[in-house]
Amino acid sequence: MSKAKYVYLFGDRKAEGNAKMKNLLGGKGANLAEMNLIGVPVPPGFTITTEICTIYNEKGRDNAISLIKEDVTNAIAHVENIMGMKFGDQKNPLLVSVRSGARASMPGMMDTVLNLGMNDNAVEGIAAKSGNPRFAWDSYRRFVQMYGDVVLGMKPESREAEDPFEIIIDKMKKKRGVTLDTELPAEDLKEMVLQFKAAVKKQTGHDFPDDPWEQLWGAIMAVFDSWMNERAILYRKLNKIPDEWGTAVSVQAMVFGNMGETSATGVAFTRDAATGENMFIGEYLINAQGEDVVAGIRTPQQITIEGSKRWAKLANVSEKERAEKYPSLEESMPEVYKDLFQTQENLEKHYRDMQDMEFTIQDGKLWLLQTRNGKRTGAAMVKIAMDMLKEKLITKEEAIMRVEPDKLDELLHPVFDKEAVTRAKVVAKGLPASPGAATGQVVFHADDAEKWASEGKK
Amino acid sequence: MGFRRKKVVLVRIETSPEDLKGMNSAEGILTARGGMTSHAAVVARGMGKCCVSGAGSIKISYKAKTLEMSGNKYKEGDFISLNGSTGEVYDGMIKTVDPEMSGYFGKLMKLSDKKARLAVRTNADTPLDARVAREFGAKGIGLCRTEHMFFGGDKIIAMREMILAEDEEGRRKALAGLLPIQRKDFEGIFEAMHGLPVTVRLLDPPLHEFVPHDEKGQKEMAKVMVVSLETIKAQVEALSEVNPMLGHRGCRLGNTYPEITEMQSRAIIEAALNLKARKIDARPEIMIPLTGTLAEMKMQEQIVRTTIEKVFEERGQKIDFMVGTMIEVPRAALTADKIAQSAEFFSFGTNDLTQMTFGYSRDDAGKFLPIYIEKGILKNDPFQVLDQEGVGQLVEMAVKKGRKTRKKIKLGICGEHGGEPSSIEFCHRVGLHYVSCSPYRVPIARLATAQANIMNKRSWKKMNK
Repeated sequence: MSKAKYVYLFGDRKAEGNAKMKNLLGGKGANLAEMNLIGVPVPPGFTITTEICTIYNEKGRDNAISLIKEDVTNAIAHVENIMGMKFGDQKNPLLVSVRSGARASMPGMMDTVLNLGMNDNAVEGIAAKSGNPRFAWDSYRRFVQMYGDVVLGMKPESREAEDPFEIIIDKMKKKRGVTLDTELPAEDLKEMVLQFKAAVKKQTGHDFPDDPWEQLWGAIMAVFDSWMNERAILYRKLNKIPDEWGTAVSVQAMVFGNMGETSATGVAFTRDAATGENMFIGEYLINAQGEDVVAGIRTPQQITIEGSKRWAKLANVSEKERAEKYPSLEESMPEVYKDLFQTQENLEKHYRDMQDMEFTIQDGKLWLLQTRNGKRTGAAMVKIAMDMLKEKLITKEEAIMRVEPDKLDELLHPVFDKEAVTRAKVVAKGLPASPGAATGQVVFHADDAEKWASEGKK
Repeated sequence: MGFRRKKVVLVRIETSPEDLKGMNSAEGILTARGGMTSHAAVVARGMGKCCVSGAGSIKISYKAKTLEMSGNKYKEGDFISLNGSTGEVYDGMIKTVDPEMSGYFGKLMKLSDKKARLAVRTNADTPLDARVAREFGAKGIGLCRTEHMFFGGDKIIAMREMILAEDEEGRRKALAGLLPIQRKDFEGIFEAMHGLPVTVRLLDPPLHEFVPHDEKGQKEMAKVMVVSLETIKAQVEALSEVNPMLGHRGCRLGNTYPEITEMQSRAIIEAALNLKARKIDARPEIMIPLTGTLAEMKMQEQIVRTTIEKVFEERGQKIDFMVGTMIEVPRAALTADKIAQSAEFFSFGTNDLTQMTFGYSRDDAGKFLPIYIEKGILKNDPFQVLDQEGVGQLVEMAVKKGRKTRKKIKLGICGEHGGEPSSIEFCHRVGLHYVSCSPYRVPIARLATAQANIMNKRSWKKMNK
């Protein structure tokens, strides 16, 4: 019997898996493989199958590692080759992300570790290579914090308890007299890394692992562990996802959107997920990492000129101010925009459905980090299905099957005017017993309701 | 949409069946008590009406006609707004936007109708509901509950007179008063559904649901009927049952008080003939509720047909009609071959069929169903998602047996399940002709019937060979 395959490589437009292998590779892993196969630029990496998660949960850590140790070693070499970098190297260090990915999407339920491979050697290499020591030390600082939380159990157990890392950050900001961590210089970040590590030693009794391989195994196992964390179990229960499915783990070369003014990160949809309009749409931030887009500290900019102009109109921003302060990607990086536009067209044609994509631009080069069929409103669901039918992208049967019947409910009842409701004040809350919106005069008796209504009181 | 909306929000501590018409007139309903399956919630969903239930923090005084929320006092006539999708209650008026029935949605519906095998009908008790459902694309009424017509105003008084009458003579007198009211109601519904079939279910609920349980109402009835309050009280007492859902209801009413079935049959057919004179095509299907044995069904059928023959003779005119039955008692499903000798159509009342097959009282299931689902004993609430393994077996059996006796028997479903996609798929597979659901579920059901056909294309072809 040949050895079972537990690790699937992808990168450089080749992949061992494909989109049909969601059961083994998870949704994310299967799509990363598929994107490679259709020529979309994706940072190289590999996916460890859901079967290993099951083995880990049933037979334990050592058993799971022994089955994949050799394959993972080879897989890292594969990534090193493509990237021309080396794991733990001083001059040209490879950093990776370690992410979960189940068969069904479970957004935010499981753990992720970014910037893995970082240590005192690697940080020097990244500082030299990027010419940006602050970026290098900030990445190191973020890594120690994330690894500490996810793998070493530094996350406070209760909501009231203080996060040891946050205490250190707050102290440092106070000392500097600043309010944002982006205002801290490299030397403070360097000091923070030391203090973070000391906090780890104090709380766990162990040194923070500097060896990238030790870091990697720790992170992989932590992702498997997160399959069984409380919130993931609850989410599965609510969404009727069986516990036996397990999660896959995707390990991928890191690309950075925060390496300077020619780097960026963003999220895009091939069509408008709210209205279904057939228009490429999305947001990006220059010199930022994915979490900055979500965090809302900076105002994300629109990807297309058209989207940018529409945004400016709603936000009451003049065309001059828009073009200067909030230019679209189409304007600020026209070449990359062209790549991105072509890529989104290819992806939608290939998957024959509206795509929700995450991308990063590192030093002028576009990388796709994720694509999936985008979630959408009931109205968008209907419009997209009927438009795609008209565009001959899908058949009549497919158009019908694309719409979830229960989502139609959203379209059948009156709703509040979007703008009007933002100004309204909530005075009580009950159960959402029957959908729709209602506005009217209070009456307390059924016959009064009948009488008033027939009189047409307004 | 073609009808005009008027703007009141009905605020109640909780609602009861008597509030039905008022609920229907309101834009939305807000209750202080009750969960997702409270009367207000269930009825509002059926009407497609916005409802926020169980808002425990609000204080309502019926006497002072005031409502207190977050320290604000609202008097009758003050504006509030409800979001029934989130449960939020807002201060003041908020502009609302009506749903869009044309455009992409309309195209999807048209496409679905082309791909579907099952027809979609609606459960509707008023001309307004019937019109809404028709705009949503309903191809007839699968369930018209006549009892809902008796609530509100003078109608309930006439109904109470009939129920509280001490003998047949008294009942007949009261029924004669009810006849024109019923006839008018049926005319309204048939007219709204002109050209499409309307399944009218004869009186079903236990009679005590109609009588006044408060002294004020009882005094009023005593006055109207010119008897003592004690007589009324005694009559109300006599009507109370230990287990009304398994008590004196359904065709058991029509078989013990045949004059009720007579009056209703007459009202239905006279209404249809009156419309025919106005060149409006009414297609009544008379449905006997809660049949369990062939003899029960036969007796009702005979009363219905004899009455109708009499009406035809009086009027010198005829009209096509059908007599059939609900299949909602397990015994009816088990003996469907026999019952089909008398019934021209079956309509599966899967609410009661589920209740009686599981032995779960729907009114009491709220206490244990959520726990059963949480513990994994049940996968779904069987009152929402048809239990295909158990209840479904009865449906399938009744379909086969019914067809064996009467090849062209018409088959439909009118329980809540008729608007639930996975249950619709089941109905498609067992070969029903139509599903019937509340007006606001009609578009959902239309899409689901097309999806059912697409998913089962092969099996359908096989079955119809």
